[in-house]
Amino acid sequence: MPRATGGILIECEPAIKSIIVHLDSVSHDIIIEDLDEQHLLVRPNMVHLLKQKLEERLKETYRPEEPLADSDG
Amino acid sequence: MPPKRKAAPAAGGSAKAGRASALSTPGPATPRSLDSSMMSEADEDLDEDVTEAQKEREELLGQEADEFVNNWAISSKRFQNQPEGKKHDAATPYFGKRDFSGLPLKPDHLNRPLWIDPDKGTIVLERFNALAEQATDFLITIAEPKSRPTFLHEYALTTHSLYAAVSVGLRPRDIINTLDRFLKTALPTSIRNFIQQCTNSYGKVKLVLKNNKYFVESVDAEMLQKLLKDEVIGKLRVQGSGDITTTYAPTMGGLVIPGTKNAAGVHQADLKQADKQEEPGKEADLYASLNEEDDDDDKEAVHAFEISDSAVETVQKRCLDIGFPILEEYDFRNDDVNPNLEIDLQPNTQIRPYQEKSLSKMFGNGRAKSGIIVLPCGAGKTLVGITAACTIKKGIIVLCTSSMSVVQWRQEFLKWSNINPDDIAVFTAESKNKFSGSTGIIVTTYSMVTNNRERSHDSKKMMDFLKGREWGLMLLDEVHVVPAEVFRRVISSIKSHSKLGLTATLLREDDKISHLNFLIGPKLYEANWMELSQQGHIAKVQCAEVWCPMPTEFYDEYLRANSRMKRTLYAMNPRKFQACQYLINYHEARGDKIIVFSDELYSLKKYAETLQKFYIYGGTSQQERMTVLENFQHNPNVNTLFLSKIGDTSLDLPEATCLIQISSHFGSRRQEAQRLGRILRAKRRNDEGFNAFFYSLVSKDTQEMYYSSKRQAFLVDQGYAFKVITQLANIEKTPNLAFATAQERRELLQLTLVDNEKGTEDDIETDDLFGKPGAGAGGRGKKKPGPGVRRTAGTLGELSGGQDMAYIEQNKGGAHLKKNQKANQSSFFKKIAREKERSRK
Amino acid sequence: MSGTQSYQLSDYLEKLPATTFRKLYQQPSTAFAIFRRMLPPLAKVFVQALLYMPSPLLLSQLDDVWVKSEGRQQRDRALAILRSLHIVQITPSGKDKPQEMQLTTNFKNSMRLALEGGGSHLSFGVPSALPVDPSIDIPFLDKYSRKKWEDILHYVVNSVSVYGDIGGGGSSGGSAAGPRPSVKDLLLAGHLVERRPDSKSGIVITQAGFTFLLQESNAQVWTLLLLWLEASDHAKGAANGGRGGAMMDSIDMLSFLFMLASLELGRAYDTESLTETRRNMLPDLVDFGLIFVPRENPRQYFPTRLATTLTSSASALRSVSAGFAAATANASGDAASLGAVAGANSAAAAESKGSIIVETNYRIYAYTSSPLQIAVLALFTQLNMRFAGMVTGRLTRDSIRRAISYGITADQIISYLAAHAHEQMSRTAAATGRPILPPTVVDQIRLWQLENERMRTTAGYLFRDFESPAEFAALTAYAEEIGVLVWKNEKKNLFFVSKYEQLRDYLKSRKK
Repeated sequence: MPRATGGILIECEPAIKSIIVHLDSVSHDIIIEDLDEQHLLVRPNMVHLLKQKLEERLKETYRPEEPLADSDG
Repeated sequence: MPPKRKAAPAAGGSAKAGRASALSTPGPATPRSLDSSMMSEADEDLDEDVTEAQKEREELLGQEADEFVNNWAISSKRFQNQPEGKKHDAATPYFGKRDFSGLPLKPDHLNRPLWIDPDKGTIVLERFNALAEQATDFLITIAEPKSRPTFLHEYALTTHSLYAAVSVGLRPRDIINTLDRFLKTALPTSIRNFIQQCTNSYGKVKLVLKNNKYFVESVDAEMLQKLLKDEVIGKLRVQGSGDITTTYAPTMGGLVIPGTKNAAGVHQADLKQADKQEEPGKEADLYASLNEEDDDDDKEAVHAFEISDSAVETVQKRCLDIGFPILEEYDFRNDDVNPNLEIDLQPNTQIRPYQEKSLSKMFGNGRAKSGIIVLPCGAGKTLVGITAACTIKKGIIVLCTSSMSVVQWRQEFLKWSNINPDDIAVFTAESKNKFSGSTGIIVTTYSMVTNNRERSHDSKKMMDFLKGREWGLMLLDEVHVVPAEVFRRVISSIKSHSKLGLTATLLREDDKISHLNFLIGPKLYEANWMELSQQGHIAKVQCAEVWCPMPTEFYDEYLRANSRMKRTLYAMNPRKFQACQYLINYHEARGDKIIVFSDELYSLKKYAETLQKFYIYGGTSQQERMTVLENFQHNPNVNTLFLSKIGDTSLDLPEATCLIQISSHFGSRRQEAQRLGRILRAKRRNDEGFNAFFYSLVSKDTQEMYYSSKRQAFLVDQGYAFKVITQLANIEKTPNLAFATAQERRELLQLTLVDNEKGTEDDIETDDLFGKPGAGAGGRGKKKPGPGVRRTAGTLGELSGGQDMAYIEQNKGGAHLKKNQKANQSSFFKKIAREKERSRK
Repeated sequence: MSGTQSYQLSDYLEKLPATTFRKLYQQPSTAFAIFRRMLPPLAKVFVQALLYMPSPLLLSQLDDVWVKSEGRQQRDRALAILRSLHIVQITPSGKDKPQEMQLTTNFKNSMRLALEGGGSHLSFGVPSALPVDPSIDIPFLDKYSRKKWEDILHYVVNSVSVYGDIGGGGSSGGSAAGPRPSVKDLLLAGHLVERRPDSKSGIVITQAGFTFLLQESNAQVWTLLLLWLEASDHAKGAANGGRGGAMMDSIDMLSFLFMLASLELGRAYDTESLTETRRNMLPDLVDFGLIFVPRENPRQYFPTRLATTLTSSASALRSVSAGFAAATANASGDAASLGAVAGANSAAAAESKGSIIVETNYRIYAYTSSPLQIAVLALFTQLNMRFAGMVTGRLTRDSIRRAISYGITADQIISYLAAHAHEQMSRTAAATGRPILPPTVVDQIRLWQLENERMRTTAGYLFRDFESPAEFAALTAYAEEIGVLVWKNEKKNLFFVSKYEQLRDYLKSRKK
């Protein structure tokens, strides 16, 4: 009899997957199953947190917005 | 929704513009919001009557003016008046306090090119306005350029910029009136106050070296009285030198900057001026001025008191502390003590308009003012320095960042001027000559004159020579890379009457710019890169950022790695390597000469060796460098050269037309600008349709992306546009593409990890900047992590900038770096031999 | 209706049955309005040719006389439109009889009446016989309708609550309240805005809303009117339990709109002569700013320019406030008097010429005083300073990503910027042969959008441990068939579905 596991399927680029796997390696509470290069099954309750952490992580790769006040008095 | 209204009784058959009340009250009912809302638009235009409030505030300002406040933000309440005709409408909240639409436009505002923000002093300039050119000239004098793309430019009015404006001779009322003339709106009171307050204290006091005595000079006699009453300065006045003396301010008079259009015609006048200098009794300045007064009625009286040589620095510092920063000026035409130097520009040398403009700021009133001139690399900074030297015609000392550029400076002097080769000497680790005559030019490096470590006998003697003289002009090259401490040491040990700093960018990620302002002088001029490029003075450049995704195994490793290894990994990304290979192939085929820059020494070597190209880094000896550069310049088979960061500055390679960056120094905007500068002087720049190319290769989804965009910020604000390239067409078809298989990529990863496990070799800047001067020919070798080497574990803020500390630290290991030199050299020579072999075939 | 696209009049009309058209075409004003607004030039030529033709025209003749061979495509398109709008009838192609075409009876009659005048159809409105307040002149009406319409647009760009916060409503010029609640409901129901509890105001613009903003104002008005017609159809359908009455009403409503388009700006018309359905429409039309009803004299109504230009050709008008400015300021000689409104004259002129400068360093400068245009910019720009007649800002990753989170697309932003580019940009582009917007900026906006698409999540179930490859194959096939299969991997014998109930039942039935 086949089994069904509930979860969130994540489809993403390999780099994003790498980051998720990396994040998971700390406490192993995100990924349920590593499916292939671009797919992961993750715990539904972790998705929100995951998105946050991912954004944080990716932020390191973008220039932060400079304040618009262009003055150095 | 609508139906609920339809259900309403259309009482009396009259259609009501249904308000809730109207439903139950038949009869006339019109939209009642109508009238009020229609009227409101008119209300918005109302101008508040601020005169009462203004008076009050002005009184307050008067009181406050007595005490100097170091914080000079325009927004501080001392400058701000309550909103002048504050306006509020639906869009106001998007701007918060930055809605200045209440400032009414002048009726002919379309003919005026400027807006100003009364809060922070940001000025917006319409470049397409008829008056744009004039306004630009004015703004570059009084404000700091912030953004100069195509259509609208932004400048910032700051304390420093006003200091600079005053120092080149603008008077507060000129600034205020001219600004007002260019503005679309009336000049906001806050700005008027700001300018008045700043200029009140700035530029009022000058330090003048006259007849070899130092004078504190001012057009404002009260100001001098105030200074004399000061507890510190008062005591430093030379006793018995009499009271305040009054003379007349000099004008540009007969001074002609050589190389300008006037130069030829006024040559006669110049000679006359020279004759005049030999007249006796000249030290009686008063008389000289009185004589001159006859032909100029506009002269302003100036007042001065004398201070002793030893008190100069103390007075300067004290004046700064009490808010009256002192300006330095050198009345070189009346300096009879220091011998004249026989130097002039070669006949037929004409300097470019922007060079003339910048020099006219320096010599505006016939004296030499100290300060900084900012020109993009390749725009002829050296010639500006040489022309300044030819104008002053006294002993000149030139300070450079490397022995390589010492050589270049000397060559330039010989090329552009008629200086006798015996009169220009070089002081480096290798060469310690003096000039033969009574005066001359010395070219040296910052490190040679600031090194406190043990000096050789020769060096010591040379230093004594330098210290024991008075120099007419000190030329400071690449001032932006030199730490303020070094300047302080240079300036305190070597006495010069005037100082000219030269640089391509005044950017420093540490906020030491203000130090430069007071150590050297204000910024006298800053050129517009785009404009020079449009005029053909520097090359047009296509900039691109190439995104190189990391293969998964590399990226996984990257995520796990420490920050040092991260940098190595994103430099060693095989996709980046391939992109580099592809671009080299492509541009070599086009006939370009290519420089590849890598800060990461490991990747520099790996790339260069794999691709069989020459490379130069800090450890390369002077001789090797010359050989390699020679080949790059003249050998048609050597078209690509790999450089470590030692190539960032002062390497003059006009052959180069394409530049590829594979790794760089964090988020240093300055390095980015300097590197771009390497291709700006491209020989071929005026060929029809010529473009130089500037590529930054960045590994996707790594911090390099962050640094890369940060690095570009300065150039982007100069109007350069970086095109993002996510895919290089047909890259897979590149012949012999490196790391094309997964197997090769894995091997590369393993090798990279193993090789760098124990820390990596850092680029050693031996003769550069603060390197060990004695090392000369350059040390190299593996740098062992250990107690002697302190790694920067700074904040991100420090890292993101081209932090000066990083340069210094590298030299801590300098002493034990020479070990493996031989082995490496031999491999290097083997390579050269190989290349030669190949080129012969 | 679907929230993805703004509604077009043609979409609406095409869905109507032939009987509805027959009724619509009883009104000469409707026939004329549709002729004016909905037909491409070639179709107009055909109609004019057929109008007074005594007998049907052979289709083959049409080709011989009117259409050059290379114009075949245009001819087909014109005929398709004419047929879908039930303006012409074409006999089916048969063996013995050649195809013939003629105008439908009602359309032909009404069109003739519209052109010749006469009849007692009251189709072009009944002017009011009562004295008219002289202060209600064209400038007044323009000002009024402009205000009304901008209130609606402001609500869509969500600036209402923003300034409600700070301006406290009263001081900021009376528009803090925004449009009437009924209009707000309509915008919500039409998905031009949606509720978003996490936003400051609780309301944010949608992609459809942004598309709406990008339309020229005439199309905007139609979008809103069609939403309104649909909503009232729907409501009445529900209330009456049948479609008959509702259908009649909506035909009358639509006819009334076409009639308004034929009225004269600045003239007062009589409300008494209107049908009850039409009288009931007046309050909403007032809210939209299409008509003005004086407080003192509710038996009069004045169509505003928004109404009288309903069927004008759209091509001359531009989008958002610019289009609006054009509609309210440029259409006739009274532009000058309208210009007196808050110095809008030069601003409006500048806006219709294009006002935005995009620099290579992502800075944005917009020559505008219009709070509405500023509010639109604020949707995707980080605004910085505002001067009289000019605002500055910057495109940033955050500002673009915020816009994208509303559903606004990178392409929409780019086309907005291109459509509103300042003449200096166009001039430089023309002189250098480069695109009007800096390509690097355009690329970057797209790249920022792509960032958003780097990860997709789907909730559902992973199936594994199948008894046989056959079972795996059968189940994935079934899952695919019922449209729940999201991902499968044959090697690993795994698949993922968004729903599992039907699969479970299917499994059970297989086991039996």
